Amino acid sequence: MSEQNEKLNKEKPYWNPYLSGIGLGIVLLLAFVIMGRGLGASGAFSSLVVSVENAVAPSHVQSNEHLKGYFEGGVNPMKDWLVFEVIGVLAGGFISGMLAGRVKKGIYRGPQITDKMRIVYAVIGGVMMGFGAKLARGCTSGQALSGGALLNLGSWAFMLSVFAGAYALAYFMRRQWT
Amino acid sequence: MRNMKNLTLKQKLAGIALLLGVIALFAGNPYKGNHFSIDSKEMELILSKGADLVKPEELADWTIQGKSDFNVVDVRSEKDYQQYHIPNSVNVPIAGLNKAGLSKTEKILLVCTDGTISAQAWTFLKAKGYKGVYILKGGLNEWNSKILFPSLPENATPEQTAAFEKTKEVSKYFGGTPTIGGKTETKEAPKVQAPKLETPSGTNTQSSEPKKKKEGC
Amino acid sequence: MNAPFIKYGMFGDNVGLIVAFVVGIGFGFFLERAGFGNGKKLAMQFYFRDMAVLKVMFTAIITAMLGVYFLSVFGVLDLSMVYLVPTNILPQIVGGLILGFGFVVGGYCPGTSCVSAATGKIDGMMYIVGVIIGIFIFGEVYPLIGNFYNATPMGQITISEWANIPYGVLVFAVVLMALGGFAAAEWAEKKNAGKEGSLITERTDA
Repeated sequence: MSEQNEKLNKEKPYWNPYLSGIGLGIVLLLAFVIMGRGLGASGAFSSLVVSVENAVAPSHVQSNEHLKGYFEGGVNPMKDWLVFEVIGVLAGGFISGMLAGRVKKGIYRGPQITDKMRIVYAVIGGVMMGFGAKLARGCTSGQALSGGALLNLGSWAFMLSVFAGAYALAYFMRRQWT
Repeated sequence: MRNMKNLTLKQKLAGIALLLGVIALFAGNPYKGNHFSIDSKEMELILSKGADLVKPEELADWTIQGKSDFNVVDVRSEKDYQQYHIPNSVNVPIAGLNKAGLSKTEKILLVCTDGTISAQAWTFLKAKGYKGVYILKGGLNEWNSKILFPSLPENATPEQTAAFEKTKEVSKYFGGTPTIGGKTETKEAPKVQAPKLETPSGTNTQSSEPKKKKEGC
Repeated sequence: MNAPFIKYGMFGDNVGLIVAFVVGIGFGFFLERAGFGNGKKLAMQFYFRDMAVLKVMFTAIITAMLGVYFLSVFGVLDLSMVYLVPTNILPQIVGGLILGFGFVVGGYCPGTSCVSAATGKIDGMMYIVGVIIGIFIFGEVYPLIGNFYNATPMGQITISEWANIPYGVLVFAVVLMALGGFAAAEWAEKKNAGKEGSLITERTDA
């Protein structure tokens, strides 16, 4: 344990959350001012999913009203603001991680859980997240952050229910994290 | 009073946020959509020249030539739009115009049944600071009579007949039915209702234009 | 100056995509700086031990909210041209709950999992795989749930319009709420400091 901590100590500490928050807020503000729209993440994965589905089974996409919508007017769903933004997120995260010495293969988990179980939970959580984000028309970035700053009614309702859902289930997940 | 230097970073940031929040209490509504002004001189000039009116023939030419630096915005209800709309037009019912977020850079050509609603929308957008706003003269009524169902009187002069030949092609391009002296050129009887135009049915549609362009948005 | 720039034709769609990439870099950078590439740190929010999620999120929201508000009031930004996601209140509440479950089960949200994956964390990468599966499932069952997805539409609406409260008053209220939340968060962190299992850097290195 102490050995591991020693190793981790070489990584630079995270920034003050309020300063990171101001940084994020300014990036979000720039998106509004330059592009007239906010940030997002899950939308990029939607574009990826429908593009792959369209390449594999185009007739299936055409029979589904929701999937079909991505190709209306002959647009390419990958040529989208969110897709390029998320590629930027990957790059930005990597740059910051490199500068702080945090780019390292590993798995974050609680002390009582095996790596294998942690991965299983990660996939299950991801599935729920993906489904929920589609249903809610956005995720924490697109709805809570961007819509939150614009005082969007649906975004605030969404944000409250995200916290409600997470806190409600936290007790049952305690073995994974604590 | 405590010295400012004794405050922690957190407290300073909180103070700034609070101060801005208090100012916001008195600074008013950020949605300026409610107050706009019109340059009356500019307006007078446009009105006297009728410069913001586009004839159906012009729109037809632009579409056939594949001009795409303008947006055709149909301000009728969604139901009317579903029934028939000009190819490549988008539907923004007039009630939703304020929030539609139409681009200020592209030309906007407003379309409605007879031009009345377009005129309202035109004034609204002009007031909001849109520069290139145009109206389809006579609306879809004139579009129907001039483009989709043009007719040539039987006692037409040769000039009229020559001009009609061109109109005929245009009409067929948009899937319309030209008539001469009350008789249709094609075997179909003239329909009162405009045909659906998602897939132009005319035979002269094999132009070099990509198919994609003809679909509605 | 007229903003949003792209709506006033300062550049076209292709340049917009480059802007998206650059803005994304900023987004990813600050997420990583805040420690949001770390699922354990994120999850500790829901045990009141590390309140960074709340602090960072609400600091970002009030920063952007105040920025948008004052730029609009001063006439720099035309707020009516900034895109508001339309509200469908019921599916958004249910979607939010499912998403909240996913957050505490998986430890990330889509944006933070990207940052986690970009810094080499396997759990972040597998989480993305899960998100992709979840989105795929949604698309496939859409014919069954499409009605619910489109239920209770309210259009593009702000809380200000809905509750008929002046926008500026709401801005003030959100700032107050956030500051109150921060104070509570600091208190909770102090109270739970040193509890077993709180070490946020806990992980397996490969």
